[in-house]
Amino acid sequence: MKRRDFLKSAYKASALVGAGMVLGNFDSLLFSQNTDYDLVAVKGGEPDVMFDKAIEALGGMKKFVKKGQKVVVKPNIGWDTAPERAANTNPKLVGRIVEHCYNAGAREVYVVDHTCDEWQRCYKNSGIEKAAKDAKAKVVPANSESYYQEVSIPQGKVLKNTKEHEVILSSDVFINVPVLKNHGGATLTIAMKNLMGNVWDRRYWHRNDLHQCIADFATYRKPTLNIVDAYLVMKTNGPRGVSTDDVVLMKSQLLSTDIVAVDSAAAKLFGLKPEDIRYLNIATEMKIGRKDIENLNIKRITV
Amino acid sequence: MKLKYLKKIRVAVSLFFFIIITSLLINPQKNIPQDIIIFFTSLQLVPSILKILFYIGLSSLGLIFVLLISVFFGRVYCSSICPLGTFQDIIIYIRRKINKRKKFLYQKPNYIFHYTFTFSLFILALLGFVSILNIFEPYSIYSRFVVNIIEPGFILINNFTSSVLESMSIYYLFNIPIRNTDIFVVLISFSFLFLIFYMSYFHGRLFCNSFCPAGAILGIISRISIFKIVIDENNCTECGACEKVCKANCIESETKNINYAACIACFNCIKVCPTDGVVYNRPKYINIQVNLSEPSRRNFLKRAILPAIGVFLIENNQGEKNQLEKSNYFRVKKQPISPPGSQSITHFSNLCTACHLCVSACPTQVLYPTFFEYGISGLFQPSMNYTASYCNYDCTICTHICPTGAILPQSVESKKLIQIGRAEFYKDDCVVVAKEKECAACSEHCPTKAVYMIPYKGKLKIPELNNDLCVGCGACEHACPTTPRKAIYIIPNQIHQKSKKPEIKKQEKIEIPEEFPF
Repeated sequence: MKRRDFLKSAYKASALVGAGMVLGNFDSLLFSQNTDYDLVAVKGGEPDVMFDKAIEALGGMKKFVKKGQKVVVKPNIGWDTAPERAANTNPKLVGRIVEHCYNAGAREVYVVDHTCDEWQRCYKNSGIEKAAKDAKAKVVPANSESYYQEVSIPQGKVLKNTKEHEVILSSDVFINVPVLKNHGGATLTIAMKNLMGNVWDRRYWHRNDLHQCIADFATYRKPTLNIVDAYLVMKTNGPRGVSTDDVVLMKSQLLSTDIVAVDSAAAKLFGLKPEDIRYLNIATEMKIGRKDIENLNIKRITV
Repeated sequence: MKLKYLKKIRVAVSLFFFIIITSLLINPQKNIPQDIIIFFTSLQLVPSILKILFYIGLSSLGLIFVLLISVFFGRVYCSSICPLGTFQDIIIYIRRKINKRKKFLYQKPNYIFHYTFTFSLFILALLGFVSILNIFEPYSIYSRFVVNIIEPGFILINNFTSSVLESMSIYYLFNIPIRNTDIFVVLISFSFLFLIFYMSYFHGRLFCNSFCPAGAILGIISRISIFKIVIDENNCTECGACEKVCKANCIESETKNINYAACIACFNCIKVCPTDGVVYNRPKYINIQVNLSEPSRRNFLKRAILPAIGVFLIENNQGEKNQLEKSNYFRVKKQPISPPGSQSITHFSNLCTACHLCVSACPTQVLYPTFFEYGISGLFQPSMNYTASYCNYDCTICTHICPTGAILPQSVESKKLIQIGRAEFYKDDCVVVAKEKECAACSEHCPTKAVYMIPYKGKLKIPELNNDLCVGCGACEHACPTTPRKAIYIIPNQIHQKSKKPEIKKQEKIEIPEEFPF
């Protein structure tokens, strides 16, 4: 190596590091080698413990939540059922995510979902309201159209505009926390399908090609992070389920910023091929994310 | 004897009940514990008489309590527990403030009209025309007014406040959707209360002593009550002050005669008497003859108990109507669906006084007041509106709070097995057939999987019914996205049926992956 080249590259490197330090991105710069995963998969622990490990592997919540930001955590709270029925996201996981957000410096953390069953009963009986409030999150209603504002989806093929919850619209960070479940119409409900809880009129989706609408809405805003709860998994009679007979204990969790990748991995975990789910095929065609998880950089953790 | 404090106690107690009952009926955030609702509504006389026919429980104590206090103290129910009574007193109070000169005068009691009227109300009720009783039942008149007019107003204020708070990112209050209602229900609720307003403004408690069925029943008891308002001849100066404040028009000061059937024990006369000439005591301690000539006990039997037995008989005779045939008819003309616990449309329609307490307490707003859906005999009675919402599978609140026993109490487990209607699927309108796209909204929402998906064309799946499991909650109908007609409907069961319990095996299944499959 010539001296001039060395100087040049040393100068560039130091400038880069310096810039990084000035911008406060010191951590991620130093550890970028270790945390640059497309997907993190954890198994074997309690939901909150698995999340601690997984988010650490991704470089910590600070990588996603900056100081003073407004965060929305969007679990699935669709049904008036108890946590052991696994129709809703695990409350322990939701609580722990909120804690991580505040520790990373979030100004406010909101928890919201447009429920299917009566919303107050869903919030209460899912255990999510209590878990979120214990972690100091603001639990926000979504039961009335007045909370929603018109948004347009330029890349949507069927769903060109819809109404999204204002608290999500005005958030800096949007964390999508679905539960992995069997689903009558969508085959599986995971991260992409969970976004259906952001909008007011869901009948439009059902009426006009559900799978295309799921993919269309995923083009609207990419969640900052997707966290798939597969601790308890509803294998049959989804999405509401009839009893705990529908549920198996999988003790797993998946994290990714790529919504298609996380859904594809979750589908495999469930025992299906990503190709079995039409909205994943559409999403791949529309280049929303990657379905070819075999080519991704995956961190696998066993607790 | 100083008894001036009695009026103050009466005013305090009546305002207490009035405010509590009004709040129970508004119940905007649906968070008032059902036991409190049961406690206060069980004191309502006519609903409790109806309820005790079919259900004897803690709520029956309310009726016993009301009858007992009436035996002891006369019609204190009318002056302190009845919300419509207090409503009238407020009107009378305001009137007195506006026009100080207007006085009440003794009026000859019109027993014949009042008793005949009450008697016919109960006779009509047992013939199936309960709606006429409903129109004159005081608690229901008041509750209909609150639920259909005050509550929506309250919701508007709530929603305005919540949207102001919301713009400041405060989500303490939340928006409440205003329930669908029939304009006639609103208009009639309002006009009846207006009539009461008119009567009380110009004639005091005219309604209570001419039309009110509870007033008639309690009037009979009050004739023989232990404590009574009595004019003490030793102290009375015949000034007539008591007569002028008597809103029940029951004191004739000239003859020192008090009409005990009409006296509502408001104690205004005691308060106003300058010489302690009006007292409240056991009449035998005062040297006064009380006129007890009316054959009161026999009348009471005739007028209150006979109709009650009648309702029983009718109930048992009409209980054998067959379930209506399935047809497209239901999609065109709406048939009422009575809530779980009401046993049958007939039971419900015969006992419901249309107080709309269940309507206001229903957390999903699936119950709504109808105008004419139950026919002329069931005006204003609530039905399930699956366009607005659907019945929550795990909720039993309406069954517990119903003050008349039209909806009988159910445990969560027993309620889950009541089939109030059955799903009917109209394939041609379904998204899966019409558009050849996945949907399954109906099956998604079904809590028992009475609607499940079976293979159709290619990978498509289509809904299939297993109506043995159907409870008729309407989740499928509500969720169905097709317009203008839904592709799945609930057809009411005229007599509620028992649905099959979904099989539960209760075995723990563990599938923690050894290695991730990717």
